[in-house]
Amino acid sequence: MASSADITLHLADEAQRDRAKMRLYVLFQSAGWGGFLVLQAWTTIAVPEHEEKWGLGTELAVIFMSFAAALLLTHFLRPLMARWKWKELGWRFLLPRLVAMAFAASAVWYAFVGLWIHGVVGLPWNTKYSVPLVLTMEVFYGAILFFCWLCLYFFYHVFDRLNRSEVERFQLMTSVKEAELRALKSQVNPHFIFNSLNSLRALIDEDPARARQAVTQLANLLRYSLRSGQLETVPFEEELGIVNDYLALEQVRHEERLRLRLDVAPEALKLPIPPMLLQTLVENAVKYGISPRPEGGEIAIVARNSGGVLTIQVSNPGVISREEPAGSTGLGLNNAAERLRLIFGERATLRLRADAPERVVAEAVIPLPSHS
Amino acid sequence: MKALLIDDERLARNELRRLLAAFPEIQVAGEAAHARQARERMAALRPDLLFLDVQMPGETGMELLESLEPPVPQVIFTTAYDEFAVKAFELNALDYLLKPVDPSRLAAAIGRLRGAKGPSRQKAPGPGRLAAGDKVFVREGERCWFVEVGQIRLLESEGNYTRVHFDDVQPQLFRSLNAMEERLDPKFFFRANRRQIINIAWIAGIEPWFSSGLLVQLKGGAKVELSRRQAHEFRERMSL
Repeated sequence: MASSADITLHLADEAQRDRAKMRLYVLFQSAGWGGFLVLQAWTTIAVPEHEEKWGLGTELAVIFMSFAAALLLTHFLRPLMARWKWKELGWRFLLPRLVAMAFAASAVWYAFVGLWIHGVVGLPWNTKYSVPLVLTMEVFYGAILFFCWLCLYFFYHVFDRLNRSEVERFQLMTSVKEAELRALKSQVNPHFIFNSLNSLRALIDEDPARARQAVTQLANLLRYSLRSGQLETVPFEEELGIVNDYLALEQVRHEERLRLRLDVAPEALKLPIPPMLLQTLVENAVKYGISPRPEGGEIAIVARNSGGVLTIQVSNPGVISREEPAGSTGLGLNNAAERLRLIFGERATLRLRADAPERVVAEAVIPLPSHS
Repeated sequence: MKALLIDDERLARNELRRLLAAFPEIQVAGEAAHARQARERMAALRPDLLFLDVQMPGETGMELLESLEPPVPQVIFTTAYDEFAVKAFELNALDYLLKPVDPSRLAAAIGRLRGAKGPSRQKAPGPGRLAAGDKVFVREGERCWFVEVGQIRLLESEGNYTRVHFDDVQPQLFRSLNAMEERLDPKFFFRANRRQIINIAWIAGIEPWFSSGLLVQLKGGAKVELSRRQAHEFRERMSL
């Protein structure tokens, strides 16, 4: 389904989105912590409550350092949480972890800041409260801060994931529509139509009764082919009828060069298949098995219903060639395989393989809908 | 004019035969269902005109034309729906009919044939030799040409094939240079060296070259070297 161009486009998309996410992250981090920093600095300047403090300059430097440390700390929390795969946890498992993480981060933060300003720089202890009390208060305060940060971070990711799955759903819908469109386009083979009309013209003089019949058959085929775009499935029987019309028209053209063998289990007749599936297989068989051979050959249609699957085989003389003639790649078969997969899921397959020497089989395997 | 109908469908041949009944100057001499049969019938019937289906089992119409010993007869292609082929024809003004055939379109195609000079009307320059107006069929990928022998400036050997220079293209011909030399009119075509044959009518200039050789410049720009021996022969030929 995805051509290499699609994939490249998709990767470019992904890279662009990653860059946008990175920008958003940097913006949030700097605005958040920066905002806090400004607020704290402003409070310190506006409300000088403790005379015994270190002085405004030092005070501001300490605040700035604390917030820089907090920013770095949260920045390095991300790879840690990514490694622990927290983004994939449900909220019930995530919440206790976030609380614990907030406290741990706060403790680390405060230990680092405290050690630095009191231990390394050697600023005096400047409050009248006891050390354990201040420590507990500060760690709580920090934990609340980090908890808020974590919540924001995970909210964003939950939102992003929702958004993303929505986008993916839309992409899937579009690709289904595209497949339908492509299928529609490939249904009427113009070469066949014009060749048939040409034969019909000759037949009008030669065998008027047969000519009248051929007009009806061509009309049936065209009507079915136009209508099939709107249907998801049709009974196998209905499609087989159309394929018979199609083969009758091909026999008008190829005469004794096209021989036919039909072996269809009666219980397969009512089963649903994607419209134009059998038709595509048979058309392919005529194109590669009959048209290129001056002596023609036999096309066999075999259908079986066993083990909960419908198996349809269409075989023709020939060998599978890696290089198809230019302009006639296996597009028809690829489309058919894709539609089969879209409608019946991954268990439905369509394969082309060599059977006996000089014989090619296209085999469609369709799982049956359970008890319907 | 003797015509051969080549199409893998009997009904298509019948239909064309019926349409051609309205043109007394076209005499349908025979039919063929595929390329091999067509070669046999052509050898026996010597038709002046082919109605040739592009898509056929085994060899395509193009492959059949490529395999024919020149000169090729006049050809009108028939095709049901083949964008590629139709495009290739339009580029080279070859005639084609779309199936089902429109009788007025057929009349126009036959009208054009009357204007064109057929290969049989020209006197052959010698037994088995091609006249200047005779046509050879050449192909390069999807494009194909019927080129008049007189329009060819230069033929170059490329293994078993020959590269043919005319107009502004140089497609490959399905014949060896030696085989072509035997078919070309020695009055016009001169073997310049082991690899090249030039058309004397297309010479633009001649210069003396190393060790009494010659350098011949052709219209269209190609330059061809003649060895001393070939130059000597060339001078003798030109003085005649």
